[in-house]
Amino acid sequence: MRKLTQGNEAVFRGALAAGASYYAGYPISPSTEILNVASGYTAEHPEFRFLQAEDEIASANAIIGASLAGAKSFTATSGPGFSLMQEAVGYAQKIGVPCVFVDVQRVGPATGMPTMPGQGDIMQARYGSTGDYTPIAFYPNGVEEAFRVTVDAFNAAEESRSPVVVFSDTFVAHLNEVVDLDDVAASVSVVPREAPPLGKHEKGKPRFFAGVLMYESGPNAGEPATADADEYLRQYYDAKHRHTEVANRYAHYEHGWNVDASVLVICYGIVSRVASPLSTDYALFRPIRIHPILGDELRAIAERYEQIVCIEANDGQYADMVELAIRREVMRVPLLGGRISLEAVRDGLQRVLNGGPSEPPVPEQPTERVAPSPLGIG
Amino acid sequence: MPEAPMAELGYKRNIKTDLLPTIWCPGCGIGTIMIQLAMVLDEMGLDETNTIIITGIGCTGRMGSYLNFESVYTLHGRTLPVAEAIKTVRPEMHVIVVAGDGDTASIGGNHLLHSIRRNAPVTVLCNNNEIYGLTGGQTGPTTPTGTKTLSSPAGNPNTPVNLQAIVRSSPHSLYAKTTVYHQLHMRNAMREAIEHDGFSLVDITSQCIENNGRRIGFASATEMLNFYRKTYKRASQDADHLEPFQLGILHPLQTDAAAASNGNGRSPELPPQPAAPLTSATDSPGEAGATEPPSPGGATEPASDDEKAQRRAESQRKAALMAQLPSELKLRVAKREITLDDALHESGAEQ
Repeated sequence: MRKLTQGNEAVFRGALAAGASYYAGYPISPSTEILNVASGYTAEHPEFRFLQAEDEIASANAIIGASLAGAKSFTATSGPGFSLMQEAVGYAQKIGVPCVFVDVQRVGPATGMPTMPGQGDIMQARYGSTGDYTPIAFYPNGVEEAFRVTVDAFNAAEESRSPVVVFSDTFVAHLNEVVDLDDVAASVSVVPREAPPLGKHEKGKPRFFAGVLMYESGPNAGEPATADADEYLRQYYDAKHRHTEVANRYAHYEHGWNVDASVLVICYGIVSRVASPLSTDYALFRPIRIHPILGDELRAIAERYEQIVCIEANDGQYADMVELAIRREVMRVPLLGGRISLEAVRDGLQRVLNGGPSEPPVPEQPTERVAPSPLGIG
Repeated sequence: MPEAPMAELGYKRNIKTDLLPTIWCPGCGIGTIMIQLAMVLDEMGLDETNTIIITGIGCTGRMGSYLNFESVYTLHGRTLPVAEAIKTVRPEMHVIVVAGDGDTASIGGNHLLHSIRRNAPVTVLCNNNEIYGLTGGQTGPTTPTGTKTLSSPAGNPNTPVNLQAIVRSSPHSLYAKTTVYHQLHMRNAMREAIEHDGFSLVDITSQCIENNGRRIGFASATEMLNFYRKTYKRASQDADHLEPFQLGILHPLQTDAAAASNGNGRSPELPPQPAAPLTSATDSPGEAGATEPPSPGGATEPASDDEKAQRRAESQRKAALMAQLPSELKLRVAKREITLDDALHESGAEQ
């Protein structure tokens, strides 16, 4: 049935369609509707398990436990909560647990601007935990795509046996669009869990899920490998190759608008919707799979354009990755402080394409007191 | 794992004997706890198909690798969220947490409070050696006041965490105190805790001779065990509270409705909530199922406490008067530059 649906709700519905049966979370704007919808759903469907945890640390570890116990599990949070979850993200990477982290971004750092949209967690998802790991992350720009991307995230998590991130932002989360998610749900395919849940292992061979490096097989199986670089390399590259191979199956992006223009605009999430009125003058590259970066695709497409501008609601986090990937200068239009508007996009493009700096003009502080907007109360 | 050769030592089935010796120091108490746990699990018929062991970081955390059970060696302090989620998804499994005092009461202290609040049906076996042993001997949350450690060379100035009080803050939890010396008691405590259908914690005092005991004057682990033998005495069977150095198993208080509250329960004076669950989860609280907040003046104090009622009334009267003042005057009153009476006079408000 076609129905007015919110971005956050679509994420939850996508998780259900992908087979999720466990949610743990802690209230935080602008992700809270996912928690609300989950608790409402569990009231009517007790087989769907719900935990309002004491904090994001508990949420993240609970979804790892639930996943080990056999449930497809997820949590949703925003930047500050995602920071608290980072240790658990690394733990899930280390022990190979499929689970999904939804990060509805607001403006940071710290408590920042809780109700305003941001995209400042792109690098947090890439490098936020300790050590080296290869995360997979997606970022939709609308309600139906939020649903599809969430299903993809669960599937990629199962295939790669790793935590996968679904990005969103205040605007995508609170966007309401008329969509038929039942119809979409009927068309998606779902990857089942491969590993047996805890207690259903091969009898006589109990597993030990350790954050510390252990020998998992071979003559030393079950013993610590905490000083053996060779064992580290075996496990690290095994995971890296697996994650990369799975990520390649989800190399989703959009290359569109005026593809014959001379300037390629790279943007993602809500920024791509806000910038769309400029479609006649620019070409668009919109990564949907944010991590790992779509290097081959970007290199092939970027070749066709004279100039490349990355517009994002952070100070060039994705632009840095693009530059590294294509070895070319990328101009940046940072949309900071929650100011994601067509005007800001247009002004920024004009500024950088005319040789100006990426930094926007910063107005002087007003001398008169200005009444704060009610939107700004977080 | 080959079949256990000796039927009378069935508990050995529960231990990966091929991985012995353990990494624990000679004289450590954790091995004793592991053997006792293996015995209890054997007695109770719990095995790798129906029981999961969750361990934390630190010396104690290594226990999972030696037990013939599916085991999760969590991040430091995160045993309880993992354990609770596993129990939620697989309620038919027994979920047993083995963690040190630092893991349980310091870095994982917040999870402890809330797993207790939710009465998560998991059992925590806390190896309480009163020290951070693996890192060399720093003050832990249960280190007694005055104890000299690497991180409190002049003596720990703080009062240790009271695990009994924390666990007993819920009327549904089971708390047991035992020591590594009192092995029969330890097994009884473990068994009753695992049988308890709700949150349970067994607080096991154990010795860390290498990184604590020797520094505080014990010559050997045996001396520490003898110390436990001499100082710890069993509480009476019907005790509802354990004094320091008492051993006992405190079952939940399941007497009446009053016992189901720790003093923070819902007051019967609040307006009734709608009977049906809130349905529209995306609506704002103001739209569906909201109840009127209690009016500030409507709260009544217990008649038995006149003094409190008077103080409350006086405070509310002042607040009402303050509300009549313009903000500059309010600020001056708050800074105690002028009295409330003067401010009211100055503003021309009626008293």
